[in-house]
Amino acid sequence: MIALIVAPIIFLLFTSFTNYNQRTLFTGVYSFVGVDQYAKIFVDPQFWWSLIITVIFTVALVVGSLVIGIAVSELLTRLGKVMRYIVTVALIFAWGMPNVASSQVWNWLFQPGYGVINWLLTQLHVFGDLTNLSWSNNTVLALVCIWMLVVWQAVPFIALTTYAAQTQVDQAYIEAARLDGASEPRIYFSVVLNFLKPTILLITVLSIIWDFNVFNQIWLVTQGGPNNTTATLGIWTYLTAFTNFKIGAGAAISVVTTVLLLIFTGFYIRSLLRSGEDL
Amino acid sequence: MTTSTVPTTSTRPTASATATRVPKRRRRRHRVGANIIAIAFSVIWIFPVYWMINTAFKPRSGVMTPTPQFIPFNPTLNNFIEAITQTTFLTNLRNSVIVVLGAVIIALALSLFASAALSRFRFRGRKTIMVLILAVQMLPGTALLIPQFLIFNDIGLIGSYFGLILAYVAAVLPFSIWVMRGFFIAIPVEVEEAAMMDGANTWQVLWRVLFPLIVPGVISTSIFAFISAWNEYILAYTFMKDQSMYTLPIWLVSFSTPTGGTDYGGQMAASVLFALPVVIFFLIIQRHLVTGMSAGAVKG
Repeated sequence: MIALIVAPIIFLLFTSFTNYNQRTLFTGVYSFVGVDQYAKIFVDPQFWWSLIITVIFTVALVVGSLVIGIAVSELLTRLGKVMRYIVTVALIFAWGMPNVASSQVWNWLFQPGYGVINWLLTQLHVFGDLTNLSWSNNTVLALVCIWMLVVWQAVPFIALTTYAAQTQVDQAYIEAARLDGASEPRIYFSVVLNFLKPTILLITVLSIIWDFNVFNQIWLVTQGGPNNTTATLGIWTYLTAFTNFKIGAGAAISVVTTVLLLIFTGFYIRSLLRSGEDL
Repeated sequence: MTTSTVPTTSTRPTASATATRVPKRRRRRHRVGANIIAIAFSVIWIFPVYWMINTAFKPRSGVMTPTPQFIPFNPTLNNFIEAITQTTFLTNLRNSVIVVLGAVIIALALSLFASAALSRFRFRGRKTIMVLILAVQMLPGTALLIPQFLIFNDIGLIGSYFGLILAYVAAVLPFSIWVMRGFFIAIPVEVEEAAMMDGANTWQVLWRVLFPLIVPGVISTSIFAFISAWNEYILAYTFMKDQSMYTLPIWLVSFSTPTGGTDYGGQMAASVLFALPVVIFFLIIQRHLVTGMSAGAVKG
């Protein structure tokens, strides 16, 4: 049953050394081209652009969702029962939305012409009339728009997990620090965060892996456009393999991406091992 | 996740009476500030969901207005009725149900036996398999998509329920095994030994003693597999090229009115129809979400 996964991976490696293309799908004919596909990738400017965009986007997503998520967790500890319940429900709504559905909602929120976000921004009277602003036609704006979408859905998991850990922090330590005259921010950064370190580390590693692999949201908002400038490695792989049907090349990009991710995966497994999991 | 770091601050026995008197007023002021932030945060976070529902209930003339209507005047169910009756919704819903059920059942059966084996028997290569399971969880989606597409294309599984089911099983299996194994490990070996002493054979121990004890594990695994398969888009989009074989996510994305053009009222109604079961599900199981899924992957 591991074969269901391992065999395809081996097949992927194999494919990346061939010139498998659209015709091959029908005829089954392909030839072995060695490391040609890899050589082509590494001189392709689009590959380097995708790699850079993927890294920048991943960092922005991880930092954004972690900072907001951890802040919301701290906020939850300072709320009464009713308010905490309201915030939790808001979080769960965002968390539970399938990302295919939320991408559709995002397209409508940011729709040029009648989208409510453009209307709200115009009402601010700061940026002028933005009614017809098209977010998905501008690389930076498109990335900002997708960033908000992914962060919106990532924050609930981070906030609730961190909050669960934060309720385990012994109040006696906080009281003690308060008695010693520590200021509230000082207590938070020196005492509380110290307790949360293992949780935050785990969430960070998971977020890096997840955010690196974000696909649906980008695909459904921009399809990698305009001019493939928002194509992350995942999107670029898909476009190469299934839109241009250069399957061998797509496989090679996929292998490179996998190797990059495995570096993080090794890190994740190590941190799991350290937290006491017995394999 | 265990948080057992020893703190560096000194633990002084606290006289709570004196400790709480001083900052009480300050804390009350904090409470007010915190509440304001909490309300603002909730409004922002719930807004996209609200806007989806709001738009779904608007009559066609109310969707695209120069000034957005924040409350639907004369709400209507037309968008829902049209989404259900004038599209392939029912066919696609049936496809989704078949594929999701198939994937959940097969993934459950396989992960039960695999995790029982991995947690109860010590054999050569067990550790390698565990590391592999963890590593595979992190693969980019396209790493499996490409070879699966090629293999299924060769053996004629593209466009069939069974092909998509197999792809989903492959996607959720590693995590399912991982979670289920955790539940197996939590059961003390003594329970099995006692059953053995009473004359039960290995099969009986597995079926009569262990399985009833891991029902919570079975439930978490099914929930995870269900949500992943229900929400999955790109595999289905790549494999199912015939509209009569679409699952609901593809139906939702390709949603358009019979008259053509994007009908946002209809699209939002379709989003509600598709997302509602999952969101309600999340609300019901919210207490188990954090503990059950903290090691895993319930995220886009």
